Amino acid sequence: MSLAPDSRARRALGSDHVAGWMFVAPAVVLIGVFGLVPIAWSAIMSFQANDLVSAPTWVGLANYQALAKDPAFMASVRHTLVYAALFVPLSVAGSLLVAWALNRKLRGVRFYRLAVFVPVVTSTVATGIIFLWLLDPVFGLVNYALSLVGLPEQGFLQDPNQALLCIVAMTVWGWLGFDVIIYLAALQGIPQELMEAAQIDGAGKWSSFLHVVLPFLRPATLFLVVWSTISALQLFDEIYVTTRGGPLGATTVIVFYLYQQAFQLFNAGYGAAIAYVLFLAILLITIIQLKVGGQRVYGKS
Amino acid sequence: MRRLSIGIMGLMALVFMATALAACGGGSSSAGSPTPNASPTGVVNITMWHGDLDYAAKADNTLVAQWNKANPNIQVKALYNGSNDYALQKTLTAIAGGKPPDITYLFGSWMANIAKSPKVVLLNELMANDPSFDWNDFWPAERLAATVNGKIVGLPALVDNLAIVYNKKLFDKAGLSYPTAQWTWDDFRAAAKKLTIPAQKQFGWAYPADASEDTVWHWEAMLWNYGGDILTPDNKQAAFNATPGVQALSILGDMATIDHSIYIDTTNTKIQQTFNNGHIGMLVTGPWDLPGFPNVQFGVQVMPANHQTISGPDNWVILNNGADRVNASWAFLKWFTGAKQQMYYDLQTGALPIRQSQQQQPVFQTYLTKYPGTDLFVKNMSNAVKARPTIPQYSKISTFLGQAIVSVLLGKADAKTALDQAAQQTNAALAVPGP
Repeated sequence: MSLAPDSRARRALGSDHVAGWMFVAPAVVLIGVFGLVPIAWSAIMSFQANDLVSAPTWVGLANYQALAKDPAFMASVRHTLVYAALFVPLSVAGSLLVAWALNRKLRGVRFYRLAVFVPVVTSTVATGIIFLWLLDPVFGLVNYALSLVGLPEQGFLQDPNQALLCIVAMTVWGWLGFDVIIYLAALQGIPQELMEAAQIDGAGKWSSFLHVVLPFLRPATLFLVVWSTISALQLFDEIYVTTRGGPLGATTVIVFYLYQQAFQLFNAGYGAAIAYVLFLAILLITIIQLKVGGQRVYGKS
Repeated sequence: MRRLSIGIMGLMALVFMATALAACGGGSSSAGSPTPNASPTGVVNITMWHGDLDYAAKADNTLVAQWNKANPNIQVKALYNGSNDYALQKTLTAIAGGKPPDITYLFGSWMANIAKSPKVVLLNELMANDPSFDWNDFWPAERLAATVNGKIVGLPALVDNLAIVYNKKLFDKAGLSYPTAQWTWDDFRAAAKKLTIPAQKQFGWAYPADASEDTVWHWEAMLWNYGGDILTPDNKQAAFNATPGVQALSILGDMATIDHSIYIDTTNTKIQQTFNNGHIGMLVTGPWDLPGFPNVQFGVQVMPANHQTISGPDNWVILNNGADRVNASWAFLKWFTGAKQQMYYDLQTGALPIRQSQQQQPVFQTYLTKYPGTDLFVKNMSNAVKARPTIPQYSKISTFLGQAIVSVLLGKADAKTALDQAAQQTNAALAVPGP
């Protein structure tokens, strides 16, 4: 949401720009100290051998070179990409469906909207514990339900082949409500006249969704795709409270690997290098998404 | 997924700010904190960071108040550190910021890491110059865990060990006699098999399999029961993949994949509750778990075979804020870890005695009656004769072993292959020259 160049120039020339900076100073200081400074600091640390205890030594690019050859890091990148490739489309498409269903004049629709949003405001720790028990191979309700209908019981979080999928399911459930709210707001911004005009032109439900509703939702979709991708690449809490990266490393995603390196094995310099690679990757992916998506959003309208 | 990562960023920010503050802190004395050394009145003020809450914190405060009343020249302030899990990070941050506490509580597994800091006061000399102090009154495992390359880094603060805790009702139902001190691991396996009833979702044993140190130290006790060792005596090579290690991991793997008598908790979050609900026949665990079993009539027995167990002692570490404060901290800690004071603490909290002589304290019997099951854990302290190696590479070795143990538990590898691979990784990590 950048200001147009001319209005920015006017502001800067105006006598009140000092007052303006005074007003935002507390926020600027906070963001600076807790946002920008750590970013700069971790850049410095990523060129050091740093165990947080003894004096750090400069190692140049050694941390980054080691990263390129670290099979465990590559595995964590793979897990993160698989996770993001599943989480982003599932949560965006899923939330569109739910928002579409909730954007009607139903009896008790407020209750349904609330129900969809509750997981978002539930603490991750609580969500994690609920899923741990639901998906328990021995005592879990899900396996009980499977056995009732004669299906084989599953290992879920205990099975290296299924654990990441369970995390996808858990996080989609947990964050769907947020996406739904965004889509609901966008849906309610669609002018009723447009829908009526489409109906008069003979468009059915499906084709008016495709040609009227979807184009209108593009800005919201772009925002959600960018936002969900960033969240997916930074996945940590759900892993920390459930699988702790296991079983056998099957759910060790990038940020969890960073945490293990920096705070369990005391390779803080190496951890900072991981953080920086991730930071640059997110920056790059976001720029590409905004470029591609932005053309679609603004080019046609 | 956002909140905790923000926590990590915040932590980094704190480390930075502390460093920055130290750089510009120079001569200005900050308000609120006392001057570094003795003030003009001759009173030395020292700060102690601990991780105790509730009744444990109350016990600490009572003891500190007692000391402060009797020693007007050394005034101690006990502060809650937020959580022991983050005590190392916070202590390091405070050291970087130039205003560390005088005494801080740290897990035993961190000793090799903290020992690298020049701020840490080594206790060898203080002990040697103090004939009233009896280091050998502490349990052998505590002394081993507080010593890094011959340097004594901390004074024991808390100690525990592992033993078999079993559900008497499930043993009675299965017609089994309770575990005895004569048991071998084969007896343990046979009992676990008989206690396993799939239809009732009942298991003989439960094993934490999140590949963390919790996974590893349970197995290390088994390794010692089979007569094995983690590393060679010079700490240069892996020893855990020799015959005893292969035997210890094989029996674990066989119980999991052939007998199916182990409830495998790969998330390490559900074992306590499952045992308390009567689904598990036996656990290998420590005294801290006992208050979590109100629904179970449990018994406690020493580990099978040679009874060797593993102990996880935590320590008080003194940080150097000048000679006066170091001496004051030593005087206070010596008193605080004394038998009488510790017996008071244990009576309030149920913690195990950190000193052997505490057993001669008059309230020791009251303590045993108040906390059923503890008597065996106290006796079991003498079975903790070995300790995990106090070397900085141990946390790495632990991750290699964790993966090996879990892969065998899940039937993905056999014991020999898994241990050989972990040994290869361990030897590579040990070959890197340390600072």
